[in-house]
Amino acid sequence: MIPAGAGPVRAGAMPFLYPVRRHGGRALSSLGRLAAGVAREPVGGAAAVVVLAYIAGAALAPVIAPYSPTAADLAARLAPPSPAHWFGTDALGRDVFSRTIYGARVSLLVGLLTVGLCVAIGTVLGMAGAYVRGWPDAAAARTVELLQAFPYLIFAVAMMAFLGPGFWNVIWALALKGWIEFYRLARGETLAQAGREYVEAARAMGYPASWILVSEILPNIANTVTVVALLRLGYFMVLEASLSFLGIGIPPGIPAWGSMISEGRNVLFIAWWVSTIPGLALLVLVLGVNLLGERIREILDPHTASE
Amino acid sequence: MRWLRIVHRMLLAVPVAAGVAVLAFFSLHLLPGDPVQIMLGDTNTSGATIKTLRHELHLDRPLHVQLTLFFAQLAHGDLGTSIVQHRPVAALIAEALPATIELTVATVAVAVLIAVPMGLLSALRPRSWVDRAVLSTSLLGASMPAFWFGLLLILFFAVNARLLPTSGQIDPAIAVPPVTGFLLIDGVLARSGAAVASTLRHLVLPSLTLGVVFAAVLARTVRSSMMDVLHRRYVTTARAKGLPETAVVIKHALRNALIPALTVAGLQIGELLGGNMIVETVFAWPGLGRLVVGSIFARDYLVVQAAVMLYAITYVAANLAVDVAYTVLDPRMEGA
Amino acid sequence: MAQRALVAAVAAVLGVALLGGTRGHAARALSFVLDTTPNRATEAQAIAAQLGGAGINAQVRVWQLSVLIPQIQAGQRAVYTTDWGSAYFDPYDLAVPKFVTKARGNFSFYSNAAVDHDMAVASGTPNEAQRRAAYLDAQRKIYGDAPWVFGYVLRNIEAESSAVSGWVPAADNSETMYPAAVRGADTITMGMRNDAIAPLDPGLPPNDREAVLRNIFDALVGHTPDGKVVPQLATSWRRVGPAAYDFALRPGVKFQNGDPVTADDVVFTFQRVLTPGAISGYSSTRKDLLGPILRVQKLDDSHVRFVYSATFPEALVLQSLVHFQIVPQKYVQQAGEGGFIAKPVGAGPFRFVRGALNSEIVLERYDGYWGGPAKVRQVIFRMLPEPSGRIAALLSGEVHVIQEVPPDLVDRLKTNPNVQVRTAEGTRSYEIEFNTKAEPFNDPRVRQALNYAVNWDPILRDIYHGYGTRLSTAFLPNGFGYDPALKPYPYDPAKARELLRQAGY
Repeated sequence: MIPAGAGPVRAGAMPFLYPVRRHGGRALSSLGRLAAGVAREPVGGAAAVVVLAYIAGAALAPVIAPYSPTAADLAARLAPPSPAHWFGTDALGRDVFSRTIYGARVSLLVGLLTVGLCVAIGTVLGMAGAYVRGWPDAAAARTVELLQAFPYLIFAVAMMAFLGPGFWNVIWALALKGWIEFYRLARGETLAQAGREYVEAARAMGYPASWILVSEILPNIANTVTVVALLRLGYFMVLEASLSFLGIGIPPGIPAWGSMISEGRNVLFIAWWVSTIPGLALLVLVLGVNLLGERIREILDPHTASE
Repeated sequence: MRWLRIVHRMLLAVPVAAGVAVLAFFSLHLLPGDPVQIMLGDTNTSGATIKTLRHELHLDRPLHVQLTLFFAQLAHGDLGTSIVQHRPVAALIAEALPATIELTVATVAVAVLIAVPMGLLSALRPRSWVDRAVLSTSLLGASMPAFWFGLLLILFFAVNARLLPTSGQIDPAIAVPPVTGFLLIDGVLARSGAAVASTLRHLVLPSLTLGVVFAAVLARTVRSSMMDVLHRRYVTTARAKGLPETAVVIKHALRNALIPALTVAGLQIGELLGGNMIVETVFAWPGLGRLVVGSIFARDYLVVQAAVMLYAITYVAANLAVDVAYTVLDPRMEGA
Repeated sequence: MAQRALVAAVAAVLGVALLGGTRGHAARALSFVLDTTPNRATEAQAIAAQLGGAGINAQVRVWQLSVLIPQIQAGQRAVYTTDWGSAYFDPYDLAVPKFVTKARGNFSFYSNAAVDHDMAVASGTPNEAQRRAAYLDAQRKIYGDAPWVFGYVLRNIEAESSAVSGWVPAADNSETMYPAAVRGADTITMGMRNDAIAPLDPGLPPNDREAVLRNIFDALVGHTPDGKVVPQLATSWRRVGPAAYDFALRPGVKFQNGDPVTADDVVFTFQRVLTPGAISGYSSTRKDLLGPILRVQKLDDSHVRFVYSATFPEALVLQSLVHFQIVPQKYVQQAGEGGFIAKPVGAGPFRFVRGALNSEIVLERYDGYWGGPAKVRQVIFRMLPEPSGRIAALLSGEVHVIQEVPPDLVDRLKTNPNVQVRTAEGTRSYEIEFNTKAEPFNDPRVRQALNYAVNWDPILRDIYHGYGTRLSTAFLPNGFGYDPALKPYPYDPAKARELLRQAGY
């Protein structure tokens, strides 16, 4: 439950998580260079291949999956792995292989959309807070303090009890606490950048604050935000699966790994494949994302990656 | 100056806990579902009886009145009475908390046992295959969905191999006179070898489930702080004095490198206490996480409010403890 | 910026793919959301798949029960799986709360004056034949109105280690350990399906609490596992007027603390339930199980009289009294309500030793039990809410008996020679209810059509492994007044289509 980066973090306390930038940002000029950097190293390269394979699998699920993920066949329920059903069937006779492939869509989408929402909320509030200061900044800081004092899972369970199961509800339940990390990051980075000469210069030249934030400061903190976002992606996927496991996450009409594991746990002793396969799928994807995130951080932030 | 700041931070816990309680209060009361209806299930009860009970539980008052009542009771040191259990909330939490603390301590112990040697090995040979392997393995741990891992452990070690119990905190046939509430300590106090052995056996699988994930975080901290320390002057000096490498690493470097690692552990305590929830469910562990989830579903408002306040205070306290530890142990932090 | 563009692009591609993949087809078909709870999600999806084949579009949505019920009660949902258990072996606790206008369990907003009248007759006349006739009439009317897709009753599936003897699973899920014995051991451990059972107060709602309570406490009368009423603390009873019954108490019975069981304790027990605010300032929620009761009075030290405000049939009086365990007046008053909850004392075969909130409850044999001491010295109820955890605990020998075996695991348990699966006829009706007040389910033809369109046989055979029995309405085969001649709706898709066509679909 505590993947890298969970919980309260401060620069210095967890140096491997929070890239402390000592120089002005150098946004990578091209995706190509990043890709080349990832591929240069075997583990990172392998992770990239795994993640890309999952993305391709998710996007092409209707082509790859041999069966419909929701087609029930009660006569063939809990069938063990066989040539007809590579990973067997579940309690409704649905093909576990097909459901696992479709399940990648939920994990990837929930992970990416949650991270996207967190980055959007957190960065905007953090940058604005750092620049505006005054009571809006203080209000945001107090909110962050309150949210931080809730354990993540307890918070998410309470939110889901409130919102009810649903694809977007999961994303909101996770994002409503997840943004605070990006808020702290963006606020701290903006404060650090605000004192630098190039910002002072822009200010002296009479550029409006919003322009300075978006055009000058944002590009300089983008790398750091991207790295942290990548490292949180896997955590959100695990949290989504945890909620679905508790039966309060993704509704059962949509194949999701967490609910597959949950459905399978009652038959674990007679049909191990029902929860083991989606569990493995989740583990490999999250591992791939984390390895890739590490590698990208090494490239974007060589100072903090390894001493 | 430093002590003033600590006192200030301590006082800060009060508004944070109160704020968390208010937040929990409103979000819970906005949830659909009425505790009385849930408690009754399909007991055939008349509308009049339900109305009476709701009145007795103050559930028919406006929300702000209920909130005021809660804080008025709190001011007298009373956390209220559980709607579902008809018992003081404080007693319920006092019953569940030791189990969770015991599991948390065991988790940290497992994590340290795994993480320190791993982090050490990898820091001593940076960029070697050992280092790569440690980093990748620790990421594997960090990527592990704990609930799934717990199920697999039960399947292999409890059901198939029958080496360890499937669930629970102790063999229920063993009676341990409750003194502290912590089964391990009470077992020792009662000089009952059977109780201690049974408690330890029951701790293995859940603490391993949580510990593996936690070890991942810890191993990387140990690694990076160890690398940092190994380049410090006093380590170089110790080496220059011709001390054997083992002594240098263990006596000089490791001790200093453990401070940040312990910090990480401390900062994670709040999250660990809350994250226990799913593992407590999987292993039928009678702890706080399960109590809170059950209480959220039963709309047992007062129990949830008290528990989240406890989490909040733990969080603030853990942060404070880390701060104090830093200020005391590391003079360079002065004035930072 | 480039990285963010990449993330956005990936998200967009995935988003389009997901939307493309889940696009539904809907023309002029009947279309609704089937709301359900986690325990019935599998079944609901199988039903939705069946209906889909018949051109009816049903989307399953799973909720926590506590969230779904208030929405149902507020009339915000249309079709939902529900269930209701009977504590009575009489429709008084199942059909009455489910079908009488505005009754507590009437989630389908069903209202039929003729049915209300039948139910009133059946609960207000002492004449058995009249009661039966009224129930039979009500069943026919309800069947025709089809306020639900009528469902099924499941057998209670439990399992025991082969070392256990004498234990019998009960229709109402109560776990009576008095006759149980374990070969080679004097402790029996039971794996309960509950997350928590405490506190053990007979004034609180029965639910699953009674499974444990009845081992510590005796009532005036008790149940056999199949629901027959037998004497406990009362030895005999008779009707002494249109609405009064006298009970003679068993002589010489002592509570576990040594106090004798007297008429005063019986009166106190019922006053505690009937007096508002009597339990630590709260009112008992069991009160309404007693029917139209006015008062309970002491005649002499060993006789009490129950006085009702209206005629209440003897069968219902007895079924209700099973749920009112007698508590010791002196002890409760001395220890206080808090002390009583912390250490309950009753006149049952086992005394309470210790118990924790959500882990286990430990009882010990009470040697002074009026029926003679139990066979085992110790009973332990362990809370094992996860079905797989219970199975694992039974297979590994940690517990001797477990409640609620998932039907899928029965075969697995049967392969183990050290374990036996035991079943008892259930007392709970599982069904799909409609909001009969709102479009389109205010049209009985649509409701009947769905009764014809759901094929329960494969569901009961494959998902519930044959442990379910179809119900024609919500009257149970083991309960009073059941009409065996009324056959459940058959699976008839053609008839369903025809009815839907008539209704405009």
